[in-house]
Order: sequence, then C-alpha cells, then structure tokens
Amino acid sequence: MHIDRLIKNMELISKQEAIIFQDKIYYYKDILNQIEVWEQRLKLHNIEKGKVVSIISDYSPEAISVIIALIRNQNIIVPLSPSTEVQSSDFHNISYTQHIIELLGDHRYQIEKKDSTPANNLILRNLIENKHAGLILFTSGSSGKPKAVVHDFEKLLIKFQHSKKNYRTLCFMLFDHIAGIDSYFYCLFSGGMAIYPVSRNPAAICKLIEKHKVEVLPTSPTFLNLLLISEEYKKYDLSSLEIITFGSERMHSLLLDKIKNVFPGVKLIQKYGVTELGSPPSKTKPEDSTWIKIDSDQFQTRIIDDILYIKTETAMLGYLNAPSPFTADGWYNTGDTVIVDGEYLQIIGRKSEIINVGGEKVYPAEVEEIIQSLSNVDEVVVYGEKNVIMGQIVCAKVTLLEEEDSSQFSKRLKKYCKDKLEPYKIPVKIKITKNKLHNTRFKKIRQPIH
Amino acid sequence: MNIRKDQVDDLVLKALQEIDLDDRSIEFSKSTILYGDNGLLESIQLVNFIVDLEKYIEDEFSRSLSIADEKAISQKNSPFRTIETLCNYVYSLLTE
Repeated sequence: MHIDRLIKNMELISKQEAIIFQDKIYYYKDILNQIEVWEQRLKLHNIEKGKVVSIISDYSPEAISVIIALIRNQNIIVPLSPSTEVQSSDFHNISYTQHIIELLGDHRYQIEKKDSTPANNLILRNLIENKHAGLILFTSGSSGKPKAVVHDFEKLLIKFQHSKKNYRTLCFMLFDHIAGIDSYFYCLFSGGMAIYPVSRNPAAICKLIEKHKVEVLPTSPTFLNLLLISEEYKKYDLSSLEIITFGSERMHSLLLDKIKNVFPGVKLIQKYGVTELGSPPSKTKPEDSTWIKIDSDQFQTRIIDDILYIKTETAMLGYLNAPSPFTADGWYNTGDTVIVDGEYLQIIGRKSEIINVGGEKVYPAEVEEIIQSLSNVDEVVVYGEKNVIMGQIVCAKVTLLEEEDSSQFSKRLKKYCKDKLEPYKIPVKIKITKNKLHNTRFKKIRQPIH
Repeated sequence: MNIRKDQVDDLVLKALQEIDLDDRSIEFSKSTILYGDNGLLESIQLVNFIVDLEKYIEDEFSRSLSIADEKAISQKNSPFRTIETLCNYVYSLLTE
C-alpha cells in the first residue's frame, strides 16, 4: 500500500519540518502523532472501513492527518472546503456520505452521522469490495450542476512514489481541488515542507514567501496578474522562489513575459490538471512556457478535431451522478482545444461555454436563471468576454418588456444579484438590446455581438 | 476637444463611488491604494470599477477607451496601484 510506504518514510524523517501553518512549525512526528490520534477517534466514533466520510475543512496539519487516517482506514473521502457550505447538503447526498467530520480549528471538531447506502452505487461498491480507499471530488458540470468524480486513492498515489526533490512549497491551490491534493501529497511523499496559507491575497502570499523562504509556488495566471497589479512583490524579498507553476486557465504570453522580468531565474512550469484524470507530470518548452508536454508513460494523448483526448490508468473510476465521459476504448475527451508543435501542446481554450473568471468557473445558465427572475426582464443571455486582469468577465445581454434607463437597470440588476450570486458571477457589463437573443432553433446565442 | 486633468479625476472618483464597498466609510485621497495590501478594492471590484470608468469616459468625452488592456499590464509600474497613478494613466491615454 502506497500510504503505508508514506508513513514509513515519514517515520524516517520524523524530526524534519513538515508543515508551517499560522507561523507554527509542525514536524513529521507531529503529523504522525495526529494521524494516530485520528485513527483512535475513527474507532471511537465507529467510522468503519469502507464508509463514505466527508471532511469539511480548509488547509491545516490536522486536516491532512485526518485524510491520511481515513486512507489507512480504507474510507471513501469527500474533502469539502468551508466555502462550499451553500451546496454541502447536496454534496453529502450525491456522494452517499455516511459520516461528516467538520474541523473547527484549535483541535475542535464535530462528527455527524447520516443514513446512506453507498453500496447501491456500482462504482462505490467495487471500491468497498476491493478494500481500496476512495476520493470523491466535485467538479462543475456543463449545466452548472456539480459532478461527483470518484477516484481510487491508491491509484492516485502511485505517481508520488518517485517524488524525490524536496522543496519548500506554498500550497496555494484549494484543499478540495485536484491541484491542491497534488501539492500536499507531493510535499509529504518527497519529504519536503509545505507552507499552508490562511489568506490568498497577493500581500499575504508575498509575506509567506519571504518569511518562510518558499521555493515553489503553484498558482494560476490570474493570481500572477493580480500580484503584478498590486506591486506587492516589490515590497518583499522573494528571491527564495525557484519554481512557479500555473494551470487551471490559459496563460497569455504577455503576462508570461512580465513574470519572467519580475522573477528572473525562476523556472516557470505550466501544469495541466483535470479533476477526472489527476495532474500528469509535465514539461514546458524552455523558451516559451505556454507550451506543454505531458511527460509520463502513464498518460497517453491524442488529438481529434483539435480537441485533446487523454488516456491513463489513473483516471477516475467514473461519475456518481452523470454518464461516463470516456470513449469505448477508454479515452477521456478534455473539451480543450489545442494546437500542436511536435511533442508540445498549447491549450487555446475551452470548447464549452463555461466562463473562467480568474480560475473560477461560471455557468451562463446559472446566472441567466437569476436575471430571468428580475422584474421587467424579457430575455437574457450571459456570456464571457476577454479581460486582461481576470482572463474573462461575465457579461449579460438583456431584452426588456418595457423601456428602462440603461444605467438604472444595470444598477438594479447588480443589486438584485448581490445576495444571490458570488461576486465573480455577477455580470460586469450589461447591455440592453432590442434584438432577439435566441436563434431559430430556440438556442440561446451566447457569442458576444459587438 | 480639450480634456482637463480635473475632469478625468472627477470621473475616476465618480466611478469609485459607484462601487459597493461593503459600507466601508473610507475617505479617498490621491494616494489611496486601489489594489494591493490595504487596498480599497477586491480584484473583481477593480474589474467592475474599470468597466464603469470606461463607460463614464465614453459618455463624457465620446471616446471609447480600453483602460485595462495589454498596454496597461505591460507598463513598468502598475497604473492600477493608486488613485493618482490611475488618473495620470487615463489622462495620458486621452491626451496622447
């Protein structure tokens, strides 16, 4: 079992620093102790092998310890950031959650039991019968309805067996995202040190880099853009940085050039992570890191009609609430349009209509539904527009039942959306039009018309 | 049309006042930091503010301006740092 090998490695380096969180150092022995405490607690609360367990927490040494204890107990784990609270009861139902562990900070926790029968689902039943730990992650579906992705945790951990280089890594990506899980397991398997952030604004991140001499920063193009705009990098000594990795949205070459100027000598690496597949090891073109090469025997790629398909043994087992996205011969359609240069790929964009606001996905349908319920709105279409700061912004085009002053209407719409949508989902640009907003087949015309 | 610097400053302040700042009663001054540590705006508010400002400029001067574009991002010093740097940048775009 890979997780047992991890525990053995941790025992060998028990006196080394493992995690820095809220300015406190946790050594590998501290993590091992906490894992033991949690293994006892799982017994105490009758959380048996094969049960589906949600863990609600952000990054903390304790959260990682709970996850490792659950893997050792062959549980199916559903990590949920506290920010998903609005949807969490849906998430518990979809994932067949039987126990909810909520970490409240300062070693306080709450455990709740729920009635559910995961064996009714074929994918989960197989995992339980094979005595493998599982992982359920939520990814946004094309209709805006979250899809539950099931991984075999044992398989996901295979690639970390060869993690040798130990760095001081700032775990910037979220706790319940595939890229976040990738960062914290890489750190543990390689015997490196992970620095967990409390806040993710440029000043807080720069402070952490300076204070703890961070060497690796996994992040997104939007964060890098915000870092440049804030000029916070000028106030701190960031010379410890050796590697910046970025993923989750398209990187523009202009931003890349500026990052190169601000961080000379720092290696810039593009990552390509998909919740359904995990993040394959990748290489970037030395002269231009917008090009990526998937560099692993375990990940095969092929391109059909400019769309990237990937096949890998470590792919998810399937969705709990959606049909299988794999072709009959096991290829996964990423939906990403790419161009090819030899062994390298460049991601051009998503084929779908998802709007990517600084790495946060917005589904037009969800925003349209809210705006449609506003008085005096006849029809509405929501679409994305390119934006140099956030990658894309949300825009809305509306037809009205009765004439209304456009700036008055914009204000009214934004105010109406304020307590119904997250700030990044609220349209930035609102246009009133007299043209019809659907085509002859009654399909919404989402392309911006300028 | 002759554009005066104080007209630009007024439009910047007007656009800022339109942004919902969660009831933070902050007095603006030229050196107020727009985005960054102790900055006035969150990233998405910055984007909204710039879009509003572009609209005001279009209404006032009949000029369609792109304030947040690749040119702005590639400036040596960020034009979005403080109210003053932004006013100067917008004025330079309008008078160049």
